[in-house]
Amino acid sequence: MSIRRLTGSLAAVMVLGIHGGDLRAQGPAPPVLPISAGNTAAQLYNSANAYARSGNAPLAVLDYERARVLDPTDADLRWNLHRVRESAGLPESSGWLGENGRFADPNTLYWVGITGLALGGGCVLALRFSPRFRGLLLAGTVLGIAAVGASAFNAAATSAVLSESIALRAAPASVSPVAGADALFQVPAAAAVRVLERHAGFELIRDSQGREGWVAATELAAVIPGPNDPR
Amino acid sequence: MKRYGLNAWFAMIGLVLMGALACAAPAGTALQSIEPSTIALGDSAQLTITSIGSEMPAITPPMVPGLEFLAVGQSQQVQIINGVTSARTTVTYQVIAQQAGVFSIPSALPGAEPVVLTVTRGAGSAPNGQAPGGSVQGTPAQPSSSLPADSTRQGASGAAFVRLRLSKHELYVGEMVPVDIQVGARDGMVASLNGPPTLNGDAFTLSKLPENPSRTEETVDGKPFIVFTWHTALVAVKPGTLSLTMDTPLTVRVRAPGRPDGGFFSGSGFEDLFNDPAFQSFFGASTQRDVTVSSAPETFTVLPLPTEGRPAEFSGAVGKFAVSSEISQDKAAEGDPITLRMRVSGEGDFQRVSSPMLHDADGWKTYTPTANFKPEDEIGYRGEKVFEQPLMSLEPGTRPVPEVHFSWFDPVTRRYEEAHTEPLTVAITPAAGGVPLASGAGAAPSGAAPNLAGPQALQAWRPDHPDEGSGRTRSLMPFYFQPAYWALPPLILIGLSTAWFWLRRDERQNRAVRVEPFMLPSSESLGEEMNAWAAAGNVQSFFAAARRALGAVLASRWNLTLPEVTTEEVVSRLGSDHEIARTFLVADEAAYSNLKLTPLDFRQWKQIVLRNLDDGTSP
Repeated sequence: MSIRRLTGSLAAVMVLGIHGGDLRAQGPAPPVLPISAGNTAAQLYNSANAYARSGNAPLAVLDYERARVLDPTDADLRWNLHRVRESAGLPESSGWLGENGRFADPNTLYWVGITGLALGGGCVLALRFSPRFRGLLLAGTVLGIAAVGASAFNAAATSAVLSESIALRAAPASVSPVAGADALFQVPAAAAVRVLERHAGFELIRDSQGREGWVAATELAAVIPGPNDPR
Repeated sequence: MKRYGLNAWFAMIGLVLMGALACAAPAGTALQSIEPSTIALGDSAQLTITSIGSEMPAITPPMVPGLEFLAVGQSQQVQIINGVTSARTTVTYQVIAQQAGVFSIPSALPGAEPVVLTVTRGAGSAPNGQAPGGSVQGTPAQPSSSLPADSTRQGASGAAFVRLRLSKHELYVGEMVPVDIQVGARDGMVASLNGPPTLNGDAFTLSKLPENPSRTEETVDGKPFIVFTWHTALVAVKPGTLSLTMDTPLTVRVRAPGRPDGGFFSGSGFEDLFNDPAFQSFFGASTQRDVTVSSAPETFTVLPLPTEGRPAEFSGAVGKFAVSSEISQDKAAEGDPITLRMRVSGEGDFQRVSSPMLHDADGWKTYTPTANFKPEDEIGYRGEKVFEQPLMSLEPGTRPVPEVHFSWFDPVTRRYEEAHTEPLTVAITPAAGGVPLASGAGAAPSGAAPNLAGPQALQAWRPDHPDEGSGRTRSLMPFYFQPAYWALPPLILIGLSTAWFWLRRDERQNRAVRVEPFMLPSSESLGEEMNAWAAAGNVQSFFAAARRALGAVLASRWNLTLPEVTTEEVVSRLGSDHEIARTFLVADEAAYSNLKLTPLDFRQWKQIVLRNLDDGTSP
């Protein structure tokens, strides 16, 4: 892979990041479930279990999804999340990319990508300017490219979570972002939806069936809360 | 003739009557009144002069020593009914008493009765008629604020004002004080409010202002104002004697350039008449200008919270609070979650009301608490904050729930208060199957019908994980999408690019250095040199010359420096059987041994070297 391709992959990752940052920054957030200063995947998973045991499916799904951001490979987590969704009659929210792209902790994979970029770039330079250790340098280049590719793939898969929210209770999705607008369909409690836009206390969502409608922001909680989001 | 004479007499009488009516018409009706007729020194009364007739007469303000007349407004109504014009003109003056006494105000129009104004020496009356800090006459029936008023400082040439109404000026750090922010806009002179009032300085924070302020009408210094009131609350964030002002951006209508601003009309009632919005809009003589109006500075004494008697768990809450607690159920199976709920209600800044709830409680597994605030007023000054924490007992039996403490500072009693939740107990029965969920048993998935709660469902759930605290993160946002981490990949790419250009430059420089010293020897000069060394029998120098000449040729051919053309390099590239490689090997041998050659050997080696030299230098 050439330097240009490496730069292209990196730019794609950065564009995804910018998009996600903007999305999080918009709109007020309802005070429902605070993310305390410092969470671990186990803490969120245990909290989700507690909610699940008490029958609170929306908050259970929310904490499972949050725990899954930190530890997407936890089999126990995926099993319990599957059980909650099954109990609530909800479909699995992840598509092919979400299932296969989230194969490791994204923060670890970020550093893998950074290391791969440095390693691959360094090996390409060495190959160009020194005739020695060509086999080793070639192997380093391939390894670096693979690391960057894995990181970019994971970033693309994780980016879907940036706009994902969980319905805290059953809520109507309306035709326009005003109170009392005609309802198009009902979003069931604990359903995962994708937030496309925010406006005046309402969020334009798309559900797993591809339907779109405006839902009051207080009815939703983002899987990845923004820096000023109290949930 | 006689008939015509009689008609002429009737015509003359008619003309005389019409003339008399015409002369009487302009006089019309004139009225003059003052309200109230008795005022205290410094207060003002309102003089109204009304003219009803077919014409609109010029009305000039009366001149009375000791009284000041300010034009407040003028209205005119013209009606034409069956060709008859009827005009009603009303001019209103604000009469400000400058000295006590009984004043007779003469009639401003012919036919109007003079009026009498009695001015008494009232106690406590504020000086009136001053631009800053003038007295306020609010509409008694509809007060816009229950809080005491502070001084009103008008801005934008009297078109608007901003003022604060507070209940106290001495407060503690973190204490929330309700405040009303009022913006007065003179009707017709203020085109628009361009934003809510904003706070100056960083010593205070303001609660969120309501989007729709209340609207009242008020007379300030005798002028009508529309007053917008925002009910909000103020919190001091640092101690000391602090000053506070509020700014409001608005657009005012001002007189167009060229309008007299003083001079002949200065100090007279005409200046206010020109300033009158109705007057200005009628003649189209105003333009719009964006201005910012500030309130008069309010000085506060902000006291620090005392350190004496401060409880260890004090989290910064200041106000008056009450605490109550409850548990979601008093009976539960082992492993079933129960919810401990603590309610903190009262008055104060609820953003500072926080509680860690239970942590490391013996025999209980605790989870992260949640908090939810329900305000009871629009500013969030009164309300209730509910903390909820899921708990799970790890042992069966009658289990007491540990107390949760909450402390705050009461600014009224000026001391710290402390409260704790009531003692609660929960009867915990052994879990189904006798194995608690948290132990990890019963984790195998089953095909039973899913049920979120209940002992049967517990068997299907994977157990809790031990939380060792590793991998703790403040933000769930992956590094890919955090701006702080975006800089690293570009930095690496910049570093690699810099290294690339640096190495390229170095390579070009080296290539230039390599080519320059390769003055390839000619066959003639080399042959002469080798002949000389052969004649002398110096094998070492003979081969040294040969090696140097061939080395230069190879260095040029292989793009190397001369020292890099070693025997190993030559052998590896050409093979040991090559004549040049053999020459290099013999040259090495000659350098380190006492090699002897016959004259025939010298000739043969010379031919080999020159042949390869010619091959190497030939284009």
